[in-house]
Amino acid sequence: MKEKTDVLQGTLALMVLKTLDVLGSLHGYGIARRIEQISGNLLAVNQGTLYPVLLKLEQEGAIASEWGASENNRRARFYRLTREGRKQLRAETQDWEQTAAIIGRFFEAKAEDLS
Amino acid sequence: MKSLRRFFARLANLATRRGQDERLKEEIEGHITLQTEENLRAGLSPVEARRQAMLKFGGVEAMKQDYRAVHGLQFIETFFQDIRFAIRSLRRTPGLTAFVVITLALGIGMTSGTFSMVDGLIFRPYPVPHPNGVVTLVSTTHDSNFDDFSYREYLDIRDKTKSYDGVIANADMEAVGFSAEPGATPRIKGGMMVSGNYFHVLGVEPRLGRGFREDEDQVPGRDAVVVLGPDFWRHEFASDPTVLGRTIRLNGTEFTVIGVAPDTFPGMLTFAHPDFYMPLAMARVFTTDLRKNFFEDRDDRELNVKARLKPGTTLEQARNELAVLAKNFESEYPKVNRSRSAAVYTQFQTRTIEDDNWKFGVIFVILALAVLLVACTNVAGLLLSRARARTREIAVRLALGAGRFRLIRLLLTESLILASLGGLAGIVIGYGIVVWFHTKESVVFMTELPMALPFHMDRRVLLACVALGVLSAILCGLAPALQSTRVDLVNGLKSAEGDAPGRKRMWGRNVLVVAQVAMSLMLLTASFLMARSFQHSLLDGTSFAKDHLLMTGFDPRLVQYNAVQTQQFYKLLAERMREAPGVQSEALMQNVPLGTGDFDGVAFVPDGFQMPRDRENFTSTMDTVDEGYFETMAIPILRGRGFLATDTPDAPRVAVVNERFAKHFWPGADAVGKHIRLDSRAGTLVEIVGVAQTIKYESTFEKPMDFVYMPLAQHPVARMVLMLRSSGDPLQLVQPVKDVVRTLDPNLPLLQMRSFEDLYLNQAVKGPGIAIQLVGSMGVVGLLLAIAGLYGLVAYNVSRRTREIGIRMALGAASSDVLRLVMGKGIVLVGIGTAIGLAMGFALEQLMNSMLFNAGGVDILAYVIVVPSMFLVTMLAAYVPARRASKIAPIQALRYE
Repeated sequence: MKEKTDVLQGTLALMVLKTLDVLGSLHGYGIARRIEQISGNLLAVNQGTLYPVLLKLEQEGAIASEWGASENNRRARFYRLTREGRKQLRAETQDWEQTAAIIGRFFEAKAEDLS
Repeated sequence: MKSLRRFFARLANLATRRGQDERLKEEIEGHITLQTEENLRAGLSPVEARRQAMLKFGGVEAMKQDYRAVHGLQFIETFFQDIRFAIRSLRRTPGLTAFVVITLALGIGMTSGTFSMVDGLIFRPYPVPHPNGVVTLVSTTHDSNFDDFSYREYLDIRDKTKSYDGVIANADMEAVGFSAEPGATPRIKGGMMVSGNYFHVLGVEPRLGRGFREDEDQVPGRDAVVVLGPDFWRHEFASDPTVLGRTIRLNGTEFTVIGVAPDTFPGMLTFAHPDFYMPLAMARVFTTDLRKNFFEDRDDRELNVKARLKPGTTLEQARNELAVLAKNFESEYPKVNRSRSAAVYTQFQTRTIEDDNWKFGVIFVILALAVLLVACTNVAGLLLSRARARTREIAVRLALGAGRFRLIRLLLTESLILASLGGLAGIVIGYGIVVWFHTKESVVFMTELPMALPFHMDRRVLLACVALGVLSAILCGLAPALQSTRVDLVNGLKSAEGDAPGRKRMWGRNVLVVAQVAMSLMLLTASFLMARSFQHSLLDGTSFAKDHLLMTGFDPRLVQYNAVQTQQFYKLLAERMREAPGVQSEALMQNVPLGTGDFDGVAFVPDGFQMPRDRENFTSTMDTVDEGYFETMAIPILRGRGFLATDTPDAPRVAVVNERFAKHFWPGADAVGKHIRLDSRAGTLVEIVGVAQTIKYESTFEKPMDFVYMPLAQHPVARMVLMLRSSGDPLQLVQPVKDVVRTLDPNLPLLQMRSFEDLYLNQAVKGPGIAIQLVGSMGVVGLLLAIAGLYGLVAYNVSRRTREIGIRMALGAASSDVLRLVMGKGIVLVGIGTAIGLAMGFALEQLMNSMLFNAGGVDILAYVIVVPSMFLVTMLAAYVPARRASKIAPIQALRYE
């Protein structure tokens, strides 16, 4: 069984959760656009990679999805955060901040700080 | 938790895959449309807008793969794909598939059929709750590591040990005269005396009524109660639930039925299923040693003792405890317990020490496994050639990017399907073998007692079938799979199967040829050896009389005779039968040679023999016979005399020993006139008055053994067999016997009344013949498989070299050169195979000799017949294609593909 569980996918999942947390119910394209905007196109990811992540989150129960109509009245699948997802987001945000803080401190630390 | 939920979601998705694919497609379509619209708004041309949108989205197919991987269980999904693919490709070659399935089925079927035998004889757990806790306690001496305990000893063990949650005892199952109504003539049934705690300790809950209470086993002769076996209750009482409280008569004594054992408990014995159980306290009603007091004598050892280990107590602790107890016995009762120890056995140890039949089972399984191996080699060879023929297909797949592991998996799936089919068919064949065993049941057990073969096609054997199937799939599938995926892509794509016979590639097939020759050679030598040594055994030591003999069994205890009455009865019986018309001679014996009963043992000290320091006595098998025995059975007395009417109870004690006994203890001297003392140095003095020829006593396959005869008049025994020699048909004497017995006691049942020749043929010839048939058919099947496989392999190997042969001939080689080239290779391979096969056959022969019988070393004839025929087959297999190759025009051969 081969699965992509690299850092990118993990962070992508976190971005999806945060996006849905901020913007509420959204379809796949909308999520992709939003991530693109926020990251300022720095994140050179194929938009397609989003869908396996969405499916995985849905299977884990972090998000739920249903068919709806998009802005221009097209059928689209809308994703929204579940309660479980909110909990997961909180926990992962905390983890992420902690990790980032630790890494940050490592980068700032100079040799004489330890003496 | 999360991963578990995902797993189930994905499992469920397997079923709804189509819908999910639709959903993804629609989502992608929507996504790209939205992006295209966006791009249009940004001012791109419609075509460019869509192209940019698709670029941004990325590779759709790769994403779909990822999506599916998340979505379902890829492993299972591809597994189903593999199965579908494998079935399709197997159906393309139905002939090959059928051959492979049949081959594997024969191998698996034979192995599982014979495994059911070993399972029944050794491994199947006791039919009680927590069977692993049940251990067997035995008394041991120098000559026996499986002796029984006496009643007194049992009580001591029960009361003085702390390792057990209960210690139980049972006597052997014995013939009991049973009648439901007071007036009815008793019929022979199998009853077993057990201790009062028997059912309780084993954890067996009666299906009706109750088991024995402990107090029902305390006062000799007080509680005449009986628990029925499930089959007996069904057949004799038509499953009547009101049987409880009813009175039945056992050996003429009234017993009250108190319970019925459950169907799950056919009994603790391997072969016998007792009809009913009686408490030990009622021993006086049943067959115990006439010369001893069952309840008092510490050397009246007739009880098999089992116990349930306390949880947490190790076998080692139990052993130590019992060893200490045995030491105490020895110092407390030196007279009867000198140099006697005790041991605790697990179920496995008990079954393997108690009974030798499992050895046959093990040999059968070894042979069946050899058949299975031959079958696997066959199949491996076939799959290999099949894989070779698919070189191009595999090369194409590899070129298109299929992983090697993935291809191996695909090929293994194919062999797994083949093996599953073979395993299913093998179950059918194995079942057939078990049924066949059961049709021989009446031959094996010529007795009135409830005996049955313990061979069943149960869950455990089925499990073995499945395991064998998987094992053979891997065995015969892995090598071809590994080899055929190691393809040189360029060459593979260029031609379908033409390749230079690279050393590495040929190696696999050569190994198969060698293995096949070796295996089948081993099989054949083994079956040859068994068949021939069986013939030897039949001729050897069986020169005693068999024809014109009528045998009738008597057990006066069935009608409550005491020792004196019993002796009187046999005396009168012998006298009157001798005078009856048509009777040439008469004999009484406790057991007939090669019959169904067990011989007694006798402990003795040979006079003037230097006993080893740590030994109290020797033991030997013995029979009790009357003065007509040696003449009637035509067993020659080599020196001295047989028994005479003057060897009365008051006369000096005498015995006759066999030749082996005489040579054993008095080598180079005449045994006649020497003495032995019974039991110990201080025991009764017995003079040896004659030496009889050594014959076979217990089984056709036994090795020569020491044997002692005692005269009935001086050594009273309850159960005896009357043997009458007739001038004409022995069955004509049936009526005279009945008449005489009626004048003596009309109530006495006649047991096992039949022609001795019939019994002999069944017990000594047909019974072992079953083993020979089984081994023989395994040998034949193995040989046929091996020939088919060998022929195929060799012929295939040669035909693959058609092009090479064409080139050689184009360059001027004569057809004789070609033949020599091809055949030479075959001869080398068969030569190696023969050498290995001979070594294995020889090893197996040694094993069989040491386990079962002495066939007298190496059987040359087996090799003389088997080796050349294997050579011949291989040569033929190499010759036919080689000849064809040498005949074709070179230009054709070069084009040949």
